[in-house]
Amino acid sequence: MTNPPPDALLTLTDVNTFYGQAQVHFDLSISVPRGHIVCLLGGNASGKSTTMKIILGLVKPRSGEVTFDGASLLGLTTPQIVRRGIASVPEARRLFADMSVRENILMGAFVRNDREAIAQDLDKMLTLFPKLGQRLSQRAGSLSGGEQQMVAMARALMSRPRMIVMDEPTMGLSPLYVDRVLELIRTINQEGVSVFMVEQNASLALEIAHEAYVLQTGKIVLSGSARALKDDPRIRDAYLGGSEAA
Amino acid sequence: MSSWLDYTINGLIVGNVYALVAVGLALIFGVSRLINFAQGSIYLVGAYIGWVAVVQLHTPLPLTIIVVAVAAALVGLIIERFGLRPLQNSVRIAPLLATIGISFVLDQLVMLTFSPNPRALPSQLPDIRFQIGGGTIGPLDLLIAGVGLTSALLLFVFLRYSKLGWAVRATAQDRDAAMQMGVDVNRVNQAVFGIAAALGGVSGLLVGMYYNQIDTAMSLQATLKGVVAEVVGGAGNVPGAVIGSLLLGLVESYGVAVFGTSYRNLFAFLLLVVVLVLRPNGLFASARQAPPEPLTGTFIAPSRPVRIPRWALLIATAVFAILPLLPVSFYVLQTLINAWLLGMLALSLTLVAGTIGQVSLGHAALLAIGAYTSALLSLTFAVPVGLAIIGGGLMSAALGTALISPSFRLRGHYVSIATLAIGEIVSLVILNWESVTRGPIGISGIPPLSLFGYELVSPISIYWFSFIVMVVLALLQGRLLGSHLGRSFRAIRDDDIAARAYGLSLNRYKSLAFIFGGFAAGVSGGIAAHLYSYINHETFNTQQSILALTVVILGGLGNVVGAILGAVALVGLPEVFRIAAEYRILIYGIVLLLLVRFRPQGLLGTM
Ligand SMILES: Nc1ncnc2c1ncn2[C@@H]1O[C@H](COP(=O)(O)OP(=O)(O)OP(=O)(O)O)[C@@H](O)[C@H]1O
Ligand SMILES: [Mg+2]
Repeated sequence: MTNPPPDALLTLTDVNTFYGQAQVHFDLSISVPRGHIVCLLGGNASGKSTTMKIILGLVKPRSGEVTFDGASLLGLTTPQIVRRGIASVPEARRLFADMSVRENILMGAFVRNDREAIAQDLDKMLTLFPKLGQRLSQRAGSLSGGEQQMVAMARALMSRPRMIVMDEPTMGLSPLYVDRVLELIRTINQEGVSVFMVEQNASLALEIAHEAYVLQTGKIVLSGSARALKDDPRIRDAYLGGSEAA
Repeated sequence: MSSWLDYTINGLIVGNVYALVAVGLALIFGVSRLINFAQGSIYLVGAYIGWVAVVQLHTPLPLTIIVVAVAAALVGLIIERFGLRPLQNSVRIAPLLATIGISFVLDQLVMLTFSPNPRALPSQLPDIRFQIGGGTIGPLDLLIAGVGLTSALLLFVFLRYSKLGWAVRATAQDRDAAMQMGVDVNRVNQAVFGIAAALGGVSGLLVGMYYNQIDTAMSLQATLKGVVAEVVGGAGNVPGAVIGSLLLGLVESYGVAVFGTSYRNLFAFLLLVVVLVLRPNGLFASARQAPPEPLTGTFIAPSRPVRIPRWALLIATAVFAILPLLPVSFYVLQTLINAWLLGMLALSLTLVAGTIGQVSLGHAALLAIGAYTSALLSLTFAVPVGLAIIGGGLMSAALGTALISPSFRLRGHYVSIATLAIGEIVSLVILNWESVTRGPIGISGIPPLSLFGYELVSPISIYWFSFIVMVVLALLQGRLLGSHLGRSFRAIRDDDIAARAYGLSLNRYKSLAFIFGGFAAGVSGGIAAHLYSYINHETFNTQQSILALTVVILGGLGNVVGAILGAVALVGLPEVFRIAAEYRILIYGIVLLLLVRFRPQGLLGTM
């Protein structure tokens, strides 16, 4: 048992997760300090997306504890967790393909009822993501991958979250969009939103993260400040090991 | 002679009524990927509540409609809350079976409350007709069209402009993502069930007024028509369901104009089968639509079957074999004969639905094919009864497999819909093909069972005959399951993508399963024909298909001993407790519901 630091916004403590018989997480412990960007690195099938699902309550662990702002999330349903202030950018974006871009972004504000403020926030999103302005009435499914990523991020921000969890936000994007997305994550963070992101691309993620964890077949094998990890020779090894195991 | 315009108006009006049912089905399928087989029962309930309101409470028309909509919506909410929500984390077959059980329960409750006799539901509108062009139109036609359009408009506004409507659409497109936006999926389910039930109930009321008559047979018909319209329009596609409904109404109306009334339903089901085979995602499916069923076989509850020692089976077989020699009544033998016949059907269904995972809802059609073949062979061609029964089995095997084969590439719910439709088609062909089947008159004077020239008329000989046939079929099926073939069947059920990757030919294995299963069911039907001496197109109906399904789920899907045990239990227990016939279907429905909820793997476990 490691005690989470007192300023942690989100903590996972000794989490063990199973799909049927197969164990995916082994005593997983992660903490996201308030105002930080924390990155979870790992190869394919190491259990990264499952960690996201645990945080969001889409999958429940067999044992362990998950807290947000000091209160346990384990007894809550996904919508309840979202209402506590956690927004998500899911793996492969998962937009509502047959709804318009405007409707997608506004779906992000589903938990809010302040109509005027929502309208203002929508305008704010259009300044943050200027390209979306011309696409508002287009079907979300018809956008390019990079544009979809922008919509997914705008959608997440619309709930005015205290924390955003993102699953591989740069996956499948061209280098230009990757830079843009990383820049945006930093901007979002500077506005006070804590970020927990899952990534396969360590060098990219360590650019912007404060802390990072390395997950290998369900176990944390390495963790520390991003600066320290960037120079750690083991990070490459852990990586390659993770991908080979997949 | 009515004009073409009249047929067109009639088609559109009937289409409007179907649309009210189908839109509800589409909404529900959209958010929970479930075909709600209880939709027709809500329509039935709506019609009878309307009858109470009009005939006993003398409510004015607008109030009647509101009363029916609200009451039906309540029924829908209850179904969602108590019938389906507890099954959220169960295997995918569970909610489907639950809606079938709920539909049986609701239909029977209506029947027990109001008697099965038809009742007149007076239209509350003046009986006048206006001339338009070459046809006529009445106030009721206008009312139905008005209700249809108003509902469509309200639904559009709800889905497009209300928060809950957005939640419904988002959930339909991506349930997990919707939850991550904070959408409470239970509330969405509630909303769609309430809306679907209100529309379905009003539809029942309008149909009752349109034909000036309501009866309990309306329920299944409405479910079937709604499902046809919905699948034609593309499952889960709300505007598609409306267009599919109007199309279905027109096809039926023109079909009736050309061929006569008894062909009405035949067109509906042929349309369904054609769409299922050629465009399973519906006529208007967008190219990038997700496959409507998961790709791997999570349709059957996995479980560890109860191992029954061989000696126990031998003893049980011996006891039942010598039972007629003991002082038991004719009544007990008669009951067990029925159980053995049902057991053969259950063997067939447990192979098809359990072992290879094709949940058939039209299995009674195989009985009918076997029964008619055997009856006609012995009557018309004087074939000895023993051979005629085998002929019935072979015909069921061949024809049943041929009829289902176009649907082999379907999965999950779609197999159930296709088999249901094929079952209805078989019964409609029997009804209409008078030169061979004698149509609605049925076949009488079927010779009694006989073997090598000896007539089996005593209950004891009939008992032994049916028991031995069933045991032989069960032994064969047991051997089959233990063989390489049986393992291939299960591999296909569990994951047909992987099975295909291993080079298994799905069509060949599905055919083999239907051939074996068709034979067993055909033999059962053949024997039944000679026992009953009279059969018609209604002797083997959907109720029996569902009864057989309940039996195999009770026993454990795929489980041979379970199928027989289930048959004995479901035939025997109502006799033991002397349950009156009209309550039996109700009990079967409740048994199905309880099983799905508390013991989906059945008594002996799935295999
Ligand atoms: N719903 C599920 N049922 C059963 N097993 C699952 C399920 N979801 C994931 N798994 C398995 O759990 C393991 C971890 O999956 P997860 O999606 O968390 O990995 P990941 O690290 O996100 O991989 P990727 O980099 O490919 O996205 C994998 O072996 C996967 O096959
Ligand atoms: Mg992942």
